[in-house]
Amino acid sequence: MKQRLALSLLALFAATTCCAAQESPYFVTYDHHMEEPGNLDIEASSTTDIPRAGQVFYFAPYMEFEYGVTANWTTELYIEGQSTWNDSTIFTGWRLENRYRPLKREHWINPVLYLEYENINEADRIQKEVEGTAPDLSSPNSVLRKMKDHELEGKLILSSDVHDWNVAGNFIVAKNFSQSEGVEFGYSVGFFRPLATLASGSTCRLCRENFSAGMEIYGGLRSTLDGFGFNDTAHYVAPVLAWLVSDNATIRFSPGFGLTHESNPVLFRFGYSYEIQGLGGKLAHLFGGRP
Amino acid sequence: MRPAILAALFSLLMFAAVAAGQNLLYWPDPTWRAPDGMAAKPNPLADNPQAMPGGRKLFLRNCAECHNKDGTGVPKKHAADLQLPIVQQQSDGALFWKITNGNTGRGMPAFSKLPERERWQLVLFLRTLKPVEREN
Repeated sequence: MKQRLALSLLALFAATTCCAAQESPYFVTYDHHMEEPGNLDIEASSTTDIPRAGQVFYFAPYMEFEYGVTANWTTELYIEGQSTWNDSTIFTGWRLENRYRPLKREHWINPVLYLEYENINEADRIQKEVEGTAPDLSSPNSVLRKMKDHELEGKLILSSDVHDWNVAGNFIVAKNFSQSEGVEFGYSVGFFRPLATLASGSTCRLCRENFSAGMEIYGGLRSTLDGFGFNDTAHYVAPVLAWLVSDNATIRFSPGFGLTHESNPVLFRFGYSYEIQGLGGKLAHLFGGRP
Repeated sequence: MRPAILAALFSLLMFAAVAAGQNLLYWPDPTWRAPDGMAAKPNPLADNPQAMPGGRKLFLRNCAECHNKDGTGVPKKHAADLQLPIVQQQSDGALFWKITNGNTGRGMPAFSKLPERERWQLVLFLRTLKPVEREN
C-alpha cells in the first residue's frame, strides 16, 4: 500500500507541468502579485554576512514553500537554520504566513494584508524582515537559541505597477509573545523593472527579457517600548537581481549594504526557486477529490 | 430510467463538446467586463506581426496550464475556451484589460506582473486561436 502511494506520488510529480516562475527579485519587500492558484513554489535561499568587529560570521539557509490557495490568497511556510563561524549549526524555527489581496481589480495602489506566525528563536539570522531594534549579532548560539520568539507579525503591503516598474512599500508591526519587547515596527520599500519588455519568439536564457533588476531598502523602526524612531536600528539598501533560468526556475541575488553601525556591513542573499504548476489539482485528483 | 436518459444526454453533450473542441464546463461571467475606455484601446503591436511568436511563448508559459495549448480551456478548471466567439468578438483592449486584472473570484489570476507590451503580445497571439474543427 505504502509502495503504491509512493509510486502514485512519484507519478504525480513526474506528470506535473511546470512553467511561469516569473518571480519578483525582492527578498524582503512584498508586492501585490500572488502565487497562481494551485501552484507550489519551492525556494532555497540563504543570508550571509560580512561582519564588522564584534559581530560574527554566519550563513543562514532557509526553505520556503509558497502555495496559491486561491487567486487572491497565498500561504507560505518557512523552515530555517543557521551556521555561525567558530560556533555551531542549529535549527532556528519555522514561520507560517498568509497574504490576502482584498481588491479584485488592479488599482493605482494595490493593498495586500499579511499575517504571519513565527516560532523561532533569537539565533534566527535569515533577516527576512528587519523590525524593532538591531538584532544581537555577537552572543553565542547556545545563549540565543534558548530565547524563544513566538511572534505574530502583520504587514500592510502597498504595491503599484507603473509603466513596467513595480513600486512596493511594506509597513511591519510585530508582537513577540515570549518576551516583553512591546510592539515592534519596521519598513521595507522597493522597486524593480524587467530589463526588456517585449518577449522574443525564441527560447533564450541569457537575453534581457529573462532578467529583472531593482533595489530595496529595509530597516527597523524600534518599538512601543523604546519609542518609534531610528536609534539603535539596522537599515540596509540592497540592489536586487532576478534571472529566469528556465520556464520554471528563477535565481535571485542581492547584496545588501548596512547603513548604520548596528547593521552588518554587507548582507549577501541568494535564492533559487522552482515552481510546480497545478499541484493542488493533481493532489486532489490523486486522492479522489474535486480539483 | 430517468437517470439513464440524463446520463445518456450528458454523455452526448460532452461528446459533442469534445468533438467541437469546446470546454462545456466554462460559463462566462457576465459581470466581468472591461470599462468602455479600456475596451476601446487599440493594440499598439497590431502592425507588428513579428511580436506574435513571443506572445505564443508567453501563452505557453503563463496560460496553457489552464487554457490548454490550443486555447480550448481545461474543463476541470472551468477555464475559458479562448476559441469561442464570445471571447474572440471582444476588442483587443477588453482582452488586454482581462489579462491585466484577472477575475480572482473565478480563479483567473491577474497578470499585471508581465510588462505591458508582453500583455499586448498575448492579445496578438489570442487572435491566432481558431476553432479548426468547426471551420473544417
